[in-house]
Amino acid sequence: MTRTPRPYPYSTPHKAIVPPYLLARIAAIDDPRFDVAADAARRSLLRDAPMREWRREGEPPSFIAHERPARDERPAALPGMAPSPDRRISDAENAERLPGRLVRREGQPITGDAAVDAAYDGLGETFELFARVFGRDSIDGAGIPLEATVHYGDRYDNAFWDGERMVFGDGDGEVFRGFTNSLSVIGHELTHGVTERTAKLRYQGQSGALNEHISDVFGALVEQYGMGQDAASATWLIGEGVFTDLVEGRAIRSMKEPGTAYDDDVLGRDPQPDHFDRYIETDDDNGGVHLNSGIPNRAFALAAIELGGFAWEHVGRIWYDVLTSGRLRPDDGFHTFAAETVRAADERFGADSPESRAVTSGWSAVGIEELPALDPVPERAASDAGSTMPTWTSSSRGAGASPDFD
Amino acid sequence: MDVIVSRSGGIAGLRLTWEVHVEEQPDPDEWYVLIREIPWSTPPPAPPEPDRFIYRIRCEPHEATLAERQLTGPWRELVERVQERTEPERSPRRPGPRRPAR
Repeated sequence: MTRTPRPYPYSTPHKAIVPPYLLARIAAIDDPRFDVAADAARRSLLRDAPMREWRREGEPPSFIAHERPARDERPAALPGMAPSPDRRISDAENAERLPGRLVRREGQPITGDAAVDAAYDGLGETFELFARVFGRDSIDGAGIPLEATVHYGDRYDNAFWDGERMVFGDGDGEVFRGFTNSLSVIGHELTHGVTERTAKLRYQGQSGALNEHISDVFGALVEQYGMGQDAASATWLIGEGVFTDLVEGRAIRSMKEPGTAYDDDVLGRDPQPDHFDRYIETDDDNGGVHLNSGIPNRAFALAAIELGGFAWEHVGRIWYDVLTSGRLRPDDGFHTFAAETVRAADERFGADSPESRAVTSGWSAVGIEELPALDPVPERAASDAGSTMPTWTSSSRGAGASPDFD
Repeated sequence: MDVIVSRSGGIAGLRLTWEVHVEEQPDPDEWYVLIREIPWSTPPPAPPEPDRFIYRIRCEPHEATLAERQLTGPWRELVERVQERTEPERSPRRPGPRRPAR
């Protein structure tokens, strides 16, 4: 079994490490956080102007293909029809009213409104991750439109998923400066929709913390995939860029080091636990779903870092397998979930594979041990999984295999 | 009489608490009327929505927990009134002792 990292196996400058289709997106991001990346991307694009054409056409020009190493498995080279997103961004115009006024549909040019355009781009990048890496066509696996509303409420300090759409506030300007500024937040919200359509983890207590964890996992992976970051160089931060400069903090959560994302006079210290011994029992926040997610988050990050390379290639696939396996029950807690990830790792990569060992040791490091024996794969797994996966999804179990869009 | 509103949840999981002493307000009678008007024993059902705020409203002897979507009518009026009259206090939870870095 050969494993080839994506998108490029060589750490050369932008042209090689960042897929060109992403350069176009990075260049288009109007976000101070991405100033350097955006500048670099714009320069790259100027250097290779035809890439813009490629982006519009949705296919790489032949000269780019020649630049790539032969073993590159970039999914852009996939034959057949790749799914494409159907994005609809609405503007609540600072009222708490949904959906608001539709301001940008799929294929329409940038509006000049930073929140609208960031939401549009972020949903596109999240769509790409799910489609190209996991073979999933949108939230429901069947191409449902991606709907978002921005400028929700008056200085509204939140972003959420309401069961139909992603909703983003502008922030109060003192603590938060707007939630579309973070690609991991956009990915987080869209993933709530995926979880709602697949594992349906109940949003309370441990299953709720797992629901949050899943959103953080794929939110982080969207950023890593978009930036071409491997597990070692990734920040593992969720919501980098949503705090104003007044806040002493990098992000709202750290997957790798839960409890260290911020330490601020006003906000206090990041309260996330990083070990099951410090699981927080509380009536608030649906039983601390945004707090206790730190525990599985760290298990995931540690497993990814132990394996090295691109997290979406190994642990990301394992987690996606579990999410869509049909084997999770809505009330499952950390230990059952952990056991499912080990089983999925065994199935995809082999028992006693490095992947399986890394997943086990990740859980062990956060105090999730003595995993329960699972039922043998029941019939319901096959039927449930079938309902959540599009027909063109790859059944390949090979690591690094690209989904087959045929 | 105190009215205490705490908001938890949200994508950042930050908790804010607003507390108002009704007797210290210029219009205590209006507060009493509003508090009497609230159907404390029958809060609207509150199915959780990912990343949305959760409001816990306490006003002895009453207490109710509402999801943001359920915060309508007199419930919303009370919460907004509390938020207008006072600055929120952040009540960060202190995590347990940190494990040594490895």
